Amino acid sequence: MSAPYLHVSGINKRFGGLQALNDCSFTIREGAITCLVGPNGAGKTTIFNAITGFLRPDSGQVEFRGRRISGLSPQTIVAAGIARSFQNLRLFAEISALDNVLVGMRGQFGEEPLSALFRPLKTAHAQAARRITGREILDQVGLLAQADTLVRNLSYGEQKLLTIARLLATKADLLLLDEPASGLSAGALAALMALLRRLQSAGKTLLVVEHNTRVVQQIADDVLFLHQGHLMAQGTPEAIMADPALAEIYFGGALQDHGP
Amino acid sequence: MDFLLSYLVLAEIYVLLGLSTNLLVGIVGIFSVSQAAVFGVGAYIVAFFLMNTSVSFLPALAVAAICCVVLNIVVTLPSLRVSGDYFVVTSFGIQLLATAVFTNWTGGTGGANGLPGIPPPDVFGIQLASNAQLALLTSIMAGLGCIAFWLLMRAPFGRLLRAIREDELAVAAAGKNVLRAKVSAAALAGAFAGVSGGLYATFLSFIDPSSFDLDASILLLTMVVVGGARTLAGSILGPFVLLALPQLLSLVEIPTTIAAAARQLVYGLLLIVFMLFRPQGLLGEKL
Ligand SMILES: Nc1ncnc2c1ncn2[C@@H]1O[C@H](COP(=O)(O)OP(=O)(O)OP(=O)(O)O)[C@@H](O)[C@H]1O
Ligand SMILES: [Mg+2]
Repeated sequence: MSAPYLHVSGINKRFGGLQALNDCSFTIREGAITCLVGPNGAGKTTIFNAITGFLRPDSGQVEFRGRRISGLSPQTIVAAGIARSFQNLRLFAEISALDNVLVGMRGQFGEEPLSALFRPLKTAHAQAARRITGREILDQVGLLAQADTLVRNLSYGEQKLLTIARLLATKADLLLLDEPASGLSAGALAALMALLRRLQSAGKTLLVVEHNTRVVQQIADDVLFLHQGHLMAQGTPEAIMADPALAEIYFGGALQDHGP
Repeated sequence: MDFLLSYLVLAEIYVLLGLSTNLLVGIVGIFSVSQAAVFGVGAYIVAFFLMNTSVSFLPALAVAAICCVVLNIVVTLPSLRVSGDYFVVTSFGIQLLATAVFTNWTGGTGGANGLPGIPPPDVFGIQLASNAQLALLTSIMAGLGCIAFWLLMRAPFGRLLRAIREDELAVAAAGKNVLRAKVSAAALAGAFAGVSGGLYATFLSFIDPSSFDLDASILLLTMVVVGGARTLAGSILGPFVLLALPQLLSLVEIPTTIAAAARQLVYGLLLIVFMLFRPQGLLGEKL
């Protein structure tokens, strides 16, 4: 059997007195939409940080396509093919939607000063081509009409879609989405779910933090259940939802359903 | 006429220095209050070569620029570790340290008495003694500086720096090397400051620590704020406006004993008024 696509094994992370990740282990399959669920404070964002190089775990390791990536910088991990979004979006508010996408594109000519200064024509040409690609990416998420709008003037729903566009710009194959659906209206939610499925058909693998059980049931191929930093269960949405012990943790006051 | 020319030369020198400050403070958001110190190092290096060696102006200027590139990277490094407000304090310390060195290293800088008798710049064997010749030189230099700033800002490099100012972590998540971009920006700002320092020393033919102290750094920030942060037009306008002020003040009948204090007062007031009522400056964006 070949190595799992993403393999997280035995991650521990302690913040002072709090064990945020506790021997956290799981695998995800290539091409699947995997939903990461668990109560608030379960460690979902923290495991994202550990996978993407933003946080150095106390122990444990992460392998991606059989290659060890724990300990690498966020930059190297993006280059290896994993990109993540942030729960609080972290868009660049004072530049346009298109510019946000362009910042996400890798290997741009003119991104360091010497080529910008001494090869201005080549820089301009390369930029023109990039802008076309950038618009195509915006089109994919349905934001082409807003390409030149400053991000702070976009609606919340549009901003959430833009975070996905920025991830697509990196060309990463594995996308980690931290609560992409939270706070969306019913219409925006439907559009988002359709987009996630389109990305899956286009060959992306998705790991999605999601609180809304209805959304999980509709989009997830696999579900990971995280509780107190430990992976309690992994399975199909039906199996996870049917488990009374998990439901107790899930609905036992630890978690409010954020869904509409 | 001569008076206008020397105003032009000085303003153009400060345009280069303003571009340096705008790049670091306006574009990248590294709030440095020690740019005058780097400017001073450029000035002292060029003065040293022209007064003590047979090295001519342009090579001396190149050496000054390279030294200031290195120096500015070093003084900006703390901003990679301490963020925002904390860096201002660090930078403040760097400025005080530099002033102490300028004032006390009598052998190198002439100390508080300064360095008199710096020869005018010589370019390709021609001594540029008249203000008209100097104005030509500074116009070319400032013009090149403006073109460079414009090219950098319209390239992906400029966009990357703006994104870094807004959210470093998000830039890292996009797979970019934040450290390298910041070091590049610091290097460029150092080169601009070094060149303008060299021009300043040869134009005035006399330099002393008072041109490179904290007040000078604050004046620079005032230029950026009044002209307008983050834009080329703002970086050009700021120095022209602020350097015109002392001339306007000299038209008013005030005793020379309080002229300097009056100037500081006006600068301070301008800074406050602009920050409160027009933070985007005359032609720029909100700092
Ligand atoms: N940098 C940090 N320093 C200290 N504690 C932290 C840090 N990051 C996270 N924590 C704590 O670790 C625990 C797990 O946090 P995490 O953000 O991963 O939860 P989560 O599952 O994403 O929750 P939510 O659903 O609210 O987003 C929380 O108790 C949180 O307060
Ligand atoms: Mg979270």
